Amino acid sequence: MKETIGYPTALSYYSYYPFWNAFFTTLGFSVVISPASSKQIIDWGVKETVNDACIPIKLFHGHVMSLKDRVDYLFVPRMVSVDGKTTFCPKFLGLPDMVRWSIPDLPRLIDERIDLKKGARGLLSTCYKIGNFLKQNPARVFYAYLVAQWVHRQYQDNLNRGIFPNKILPSKETGRGLNSIETEIRIAVLGYPYEIYDSYISVNLLQKLNEMGVAVRTVEMLSNKVLGGYRHRLSKNLFWQYSNRVLWATYHYLEKKIDGIIHVSAFGCGPDAMLDKLMQLEAKKHDIPFMTLTLDEHTGEAGVVTRLEAFVDMVRFRRESS
Amino acid sequence: MQQGFLGIDVGSVSTNFVILAEDARVIETLYIRTKGQPIKTIKAGLQHVRNILKGKMEIIAAGATGSARNLSGIMVGADIIKNEITAHAVAVSRIIPDAQTIFEIGGQDSKIIILRNGIVTDFAMNTVCAAGTGSFLDQQASRLSIPIEDFGKMALAARNPVRIAGRCGVFAESDMIHKQQLGYNLEEIIAGLCEALVRNYLNNVGKGKEILAPIVFQGGVAANGGIAKAFEEILGQKVTVPKYYDVMGALGVAYLALRNYRETGITKFKGLVTADYEFIAKSFECKGCANNCEIINIHQNDSLLARWGSRCGKWEHLDH
Amino acid sequence: MRVTFPHMGTSHIAFKHLINNLGHEAIVPPAPSKRTLSLGVRHAPEFACIPFKILLGSYIEALENGAEMIISSGGVGPCRAGIYGLLHEEILKDLGYDFEMLIFEPPLRGLLDFIKKIGRVIRPTRVSWPTFIKVFKTSWQKLIILDETEILSHQIRPYEVIRGETTRAFKEALTLIDKAETRQELDSAGQAAEMLLRDVTQDRSRKPLRIGLIGEIYVVLEPFINLDIEKTLGEMGVETHRSIYLTDWTRDNTVFDGEKDIKNAAKPYLNQLIGGHGINSVGETVLYASNGFDGVIQLAPFTCIPEIVAKSILNRVSRDLNIPVLTLFLDEQTGTAGAQTRLEAFTDLLLQKRRNKGDLDATGIFGN
Repeated sequence: MKETIGYPTALSYYSYYPFWNAFFTTLGFSVVISPASSKQIIDWGVKETVNDACIPIKLFHGHVMSLKDRVDYLFVPRMVSVDGKTTFCPKFLGLPDMVRWSIPDLPRLIDERIDLKKGARGLLSTCYKIGNFLKQNPARVFYAYLVAQWVHRQYQDNLNRGIFPNKILPSKETGRGLNSIETEIRIAVLGYPYEIYDSYISVNLLQKLNEMGVAVRTVEMLSNKVLGGYRHRLSKNLFWQYSNRVLWATYHYLEKKIDGIIHVSAFGCGPDAMLDKLMQLEAKKHDIPFMTLTLDEHTGEAGVVTRLEAFVDMVRFRRESS
Repeated sequence: MQQGFLGIDVGSVSTNFVILAEDARVIETLYIRTKGQPIKTIKAGLQHVRNILKGKMEIIAAGATGSARNLSGIMVGADIIKNEITAHAVAVSRIIPDAQTIFEIGGQDSKIIILRNGIVTDFAMNTVCAAGTGSFLDQQASRLSIPIEDFGKMALAARNPVRIAGRCGVFAESDMIHKQQLGYNLEEIIAGLCEALVRNYLNNVGKGKEILAPIVFQGGVAANGGIAKAFEEILGQKVTVPKYYDVMGALGVAYLALRNYRETGITKFKGLVTADYEFIAKSFECKGCANNCEIINIHQNDSLLARWGSRCGKWEHLDH
Repeated sequence: MRVTFPHMGTSHIAFKHLINNLGHEAIVPPAPSKRTLSLGVRHAPEFACIPFKILLGSYIEALENGAEMIISSGGVGPCRAGIYGLLHEEILKDLGYDFEMLIFEPPLRGLLDFIKKIGRVIRPTRVSWPTFIKVFKTSWQKLIILDETEILSHQIRPYEVIRGETTRAFKEALTLIDKAETRQELDSAGQAAEMLLRDVTQDRSRKPLRIGLIGEIYVVLEPFINLDIEKTLGEMGVETHRSIYLTDWTRDNTVFDGEKDIKNAAKPYLNQLIGGHGINSVGETVLYASNGFDGVIQLAPFTCIPEIVAKSILNRVSRDLNIPVLTLFLDEQTGTAGAQTRLEAFTDLLLQKRRNKGDLDATGIFGN
């Protein structure tokens, strides 16, 4: 009987699942993912977190709840830095502690610090630490690390080719999947992957735009190289990995004369309060339509649809009149 | 027999009908309280329209907007089903072509729409809270036992509006009571409430928007002269309330239905006879996954007309 | 040049001294008022934290009063404060103001940049580096004396016999410190300030409740935002202690790390810097508990993530160490009445707890 590792399908899952899944399965563990976000998961999360927490934090706790009684280990990484320059929003930094002190009767947590400030070698040493915790021999850990690296590169390439994560990741999203369509109207939907690709919390908005005949562009479709080109645009970078990526994608798509930008944000999100204003001012300079959609556990689908339709109408009229 | 075009706007507070003639003149407008029963209200409205038009005009095509646009659109067979932001903008650009800003304040929703050269360039709707909408005033009116219709007149009679703090109705109410206890008179308090609503509106939906004249102010709350005055005071710009301020959404989709018919000559409109049909909404909980979606079935005279409510879309095929 | 800077507690008195002695004209930002806040709220993002909004409002007021340069501090994240300067500048430029913004990052991050920026300030007025260092030292001394005077006022207030006397004495003391120009004047002003406070009529037989204040630095330091919590509690007969003073904060970020104990205390619950004062909030609570304090109040801006993370963990710390924690998230919607009620209820709870421990002498100012 293989030992099981629970992997909550929230927060950094959308960026790093393929890597960690390959790593753990190569080591001989069986990875169990939590089901797609649902009303039940939200309700659990709301119950287990302080009410000031943002929806992604609540969701993560809900996913932990859905896994905790059926796995031997729970993977709750402490994301500190993946590029050695920027860090993550404080919720990523304190995630294992929040989970540990809020939810009773947890399985053992794999909560290693992922901090690559010491260069790419940092990831290998993190893998050794995790391997050591799981009592694996180093040679095998090294092999698993190589496999995981290769899988991760494949994943990155697929994303950069325009394939949506929902198509690749195993989680049974409630949406029927997205298609990369090419129409004349292109709208960039920018925000954090754990909000945009979680079709429950984003009320399936990517697919809704698809059905309205809009070609959707996201941050994940841009390679690190393209995004990195905007690193020095501001006098000072934002501190948060995901926020920087969104801002750089904003610069990129504005330069590429995208038809409109929709910023998807969680209610009360700290970094987004700063980011959203920067995006708005930048879109204004380029005279390109910009809209912010704020999501939380009370978001009504009808309100989102009304705004999306109005936004798409606006973009179409502008095109026709120019 | 003349041809007419119908616009229906079903919102949470009111349901509005507008009838246009072929030359886009407004023939009739109708404003009914929805009272949580959209199906009943839509049928009553259609019945009313039928009585007015008897033998004089035939409705050729219809458009639907408002939060229940899909329901009303399915019921009558609308050719145009449009969100209310676009509908409001269309109506304004027909009536006041050079308008650059639209304030739309209804019972529970508020919007701001920015137009440049007749094209929508930006908009916002209230998000997580109803501060800056009509419900804020309704609450205070019932608290003061003054009919909301008298609010405008009383606000205009005030010399110095009192500053009333608080974003939500409850906190504004406690501050209002406090000001009453200090001895301010009723007119000044009511004018203060109007200013509080306008401030909340501008800080919420109006934040960061470039408000340029001409400014059009519409929606149910525009009936209140005190609010229009508060806007003019705070912005230092003139604000125009159009003649059909309370049915602009319906007016917008009526125009769109008219235009669509002119361009295509096709219509799906079922006719005013729908007022006689039996419509029933039944719901059940889907047990297919953890979401437990509430699925709504709309029946017309025993046959299933439409179904919605599932996140995954598996119920969208009616023969399921 | 006409130079302005953030308003934070009483620190403007020291900054004014520094700017004026470097040959510029200090435009002291007016103490935050309702107008400051509504200006800030109007132009700031809805979910920006309250310090951001107040600062934006006070910059606008200072620019209206003719300021040509804004000096502010940066930060290293992941707390949002480090991005303030950048975004304030964008917003103010978008509003059409013409000014220069100078943001000082902690010198440990880049000494050269730090020195360059000081050069930007002293070059136009031809102040030499030695003069600058001398002036800076005096201003720094001023800041320390201001902090010490304030600490003393919070220690004395719960014992005052005539309500409000401490606050009056404190205001007088601030005026004295403000007037002092040279090092000698400053030293005697400091002594006079201490005398003024010690002269407040006191009843030393009281055993006041002791409450530790923790949380985000700006809302802890700025009475306008925290509803003057230290004065309010003091006049209810509570002694407050806060571990954050501006001189601590600037010291930590310049020369050495004086927070080792706090981090060690936090370790069992949180062993990771999460930005802002998140780890401090956890560590200080542990320290207050082990030093026999009656309770802890956490003050934080609404939507402040480091403090939200801390709050998630504090529930457990409070239970483990049996120390009550009251959290107040503050924004422009916070009403005085609501906060007052919470504070009174909290002190009642602490008194009750003391009595249950058999301390029958415990009395609040109301003798309940």
